[in-house]
Amino acid sequence: MERRFPRDIGALDSIFQFVAGFFASAGIDASQSFTVDLIIEELFTNMVKYSRDGVHPISIQLEQVDRDLIIRLVDFDVEPFDLTQAPEANTSLPARERKIGGLGIHFVRQMADRLSYEYAGRNSTITIVKRLEG
Amino acid sequence: MFKIQVGDDGIVYLSGRLDASQVEAAEAVLGQVTQSTVADLSGLDYVSSAGIGVLLGAYKRLSDSGATLRLINLSPRVKTVFHYAGLDTLFPLE
Repeated sequence: MERRFPRDIGALDSIFQFVAGFFASAGIDASQSFTVDLIIEELFTNMVKYSRDGVHPISIQLEQVDRDLIIRLVDFDVEPFDLTQAPEANTSLPARERKIGGLGIHFVRQMADRLSYEYAGRNSTITIVKRLEG
Repeated sequence: MFKIQVGDDGIVYLSGRLDASQVEAAEAVLGQVTQSTVADLSGLDYVSSAGIGVLLGAYKRLSDSGATLRLINLSPRVKTVFHYAGLDTLFPLE
């Protein structure tokens, strides 16, 4: 299932509805959508914030292959921005010394079973594999 | 739908989904807090790094003035996100 969303943080509600619709149609327990919503929000908001040259809607694709959920986001006609190479957030610092921000990709790394980035034809593609529970 | 309000008991109640689109609403209320405060997250179903950032920002601002922000009644899922952030032991959670 694929849908394109305007590169606007205000699109998050529509994205979460899209995920809920996919889970319902695929018969996947809705309780597992928390992690998927979080992964997609972090990736989508990073694309919106950091691919500032982008003007096209962002594609979000969901596909179930056996017990794996494949999550793919494609940002069209942008400069490369490889989130997988972003430095690790230092989560061992005391709260008072923490920088606000930079946690998003850290969350994705924690939650994803596989994470890959591809840049071709000026399109940035991030693919996540998330093993479904149960 | 995200809601944040200060109760008659002075506790800040957060409920719904605190995602990146709700940061301004959360900041508008937390930014008014100037004394040691408790935030009750029992109604919070979802939080992302943007939401954690708002709470961390309020915590740091209050800490700088000698006050605290204490989070209580986190659901297991929300607590997991704080765990991913490495804040489950550093932030005063209950």
